[in-house]
Amino acid sequence: MSAPPTYSLESTDNGNFLLNLGPQHPGTHGVLRVVLQMDGEYILAADPVLGYGHRMQEKIAENMTYLQALPYVCRMDYLGAMSYSLAWVCAVEKLCSFEVPERAVHVRVMACELNRIASHLLWWGAYLLDLGAFTPFLQAFADREQILDLLEYITGSRLTYCYFRFGGLAADVDDVFLRRVEDFVTGFRQRLPRYHDLVTGNVIFHHRSKDVGVILPFEAAGYGVTGPCLRGSGFAYDVRKCEPYSGYDRFEFAVPAEQEGDCLARYNVRMAEMEQSLAIIEQAVATIPDGPYRARVPRVIRPPAGEVAMAVETPRGELVIFMVSDGSTRPCRVKFRVPSFANLSIFARLARGQLLADALAILGSLDMVIPEVDR
Amino acid sequence: MNSPLATALARIGIDYRPRVPAVGLRCSLHILPEQIRSLARSLAGEGFFIETVTAEDMPEQNRMDGIYLFNHYEGDMRLLVRVTVSRSRPHLPSIGRIFPGAVWHERETAEMFGITFDGCPDSRNLLLPEEATFHPLRKDFTGV
Repeated sequence: MSAPPTYSLESTDNGNFLLNLGPQHPGTHGVLRVVLQMDGEYILAADPVLGYGHRMQEKIAENMTYLQALPYVCRMDYLGAMSYSLAWVCAVEKLCSFEVPERAVHVRVMACELNRIASHLLWWGAYLLDLGAFTPFLQAFADREQILDLLEYITGSRLTYCYFRFGGLAADVDDVFLRRVEDFVTGFRQRLPRYHDLVTGNVIFHHRSKDVGVILPFEAAGYGVTGPCLRGSGFAYDVRKCEPYSGYDRFEFAVPAEQEGDCLARYNVRMAEMEQSLAIIEQAVATIPDGPYRARVPRVIRPPAGEVAMAVETPRGELVIFMVSDGSTRPCRVKFRVPSFANLSIFARLARGQLLADALAILGSLDMVIPEVDR
Repeated sequence: MNSPLATALARIGIDYRPRVPAVGLRCSLHILPEQIRSLARSLAGEGFFIETVTAEDMPEQNRMDGIYLFNHYEGDMRLLVRVTVSRSRPHLPSIGRIFPGAVWHERETAEMFGITFDGCPDSRNLLLPEEATFHPLRKDFTGV
């Protein structure tokens, strides 16, 4: 446990050298450090060093009431905050057996899917920036901005949304919002082919991403890879389908999967997922009923003693909140099983033997959010 | 019921009993530390993936539980495994050579709870500073 602060990479005298990537580096998308043992341009071993953004979220949650902890949960993954707050409120609702009104279910799904598209758009722009293409970033941000405006309209915040409450929502949505969502879906569906025109068929992009960083199916299970990274390797595992929560079983959508397991496959999965999210949003807007937006729940949340595991498909993969209640107003144990943590743990394996430039392409294709890894 | 979960448990002589109500956990087990490796091997053979390794500290019962979550890519087969260890000298066998992804989870659990994972390929701190010897997720931890 208290091992000396030396790295497992032995120093060598045959021309190999250590390269320190990060903790501040554009390619790591956050405060991540990777110690690389290099042989020229090739990586012999990679050792990710975590914890620069560690805030002890689990201890914080265990020392607060269920409602007080809610805004903290939304600050773990700042690009997929909706899914995180959904997991927290659903975990408590499951423990307490609260019912959620239909209208709230529809708005929750709509908000989470808009958030997923925004997250994938940012990934798309930033990933291509990693690979040296500058224009896509601006293109993606123009569309992402529209989603942020939409979500700001209902939640008041642009990234770390804290909009869901136990039993429903903090506030209702109005018809203006629903019309604007419809307009966005129509407009974005027309603009999506331009994304493909600009990048998907590009030969330089293919050279950088095809057959690079292949995650083999049996390795995925060993590391617990989930989300688009897993679906790029042939498994159509999506919590929204396998363990439907928050009414996802009422909407029709496909789970895109690719077989190759390389960076290009993960790219294609995310691109196809955005279309599916549009389909879900469209159905949610079309079928949203009138009625209450929040159920009557007790002011003080005191769940019965017990344990619950609430799994949610965030833009990055499977989030599980494991919560143990002892019947008091504070959770007695909270574990956040975050997708980026498991997805990043396979990086050392993928980077071995690769060119440094390819390792950055792999790191970007995993789409991790470091504050979520560090918690 | 011929699910991969039932098959994996049957191979090491554990009866599959689904949990009712499920609350996200299809099945929960309480096993001995020496069983965890054979269980992990059996689950890996059936294609299960590792979700997490963590622990729960219960000082009023003078008890600490190692907690494992496994699931299957075919979906909805989440298995919760609890392994009780002593609070004063907590030890668990590492499953890091069966599920390579478990190494990071074990490193985190080791630093947060002070549990030693025997045979873990890497025993450095993961999220805490390299030299930290305190265990923040123990209930009696009040700060440094």
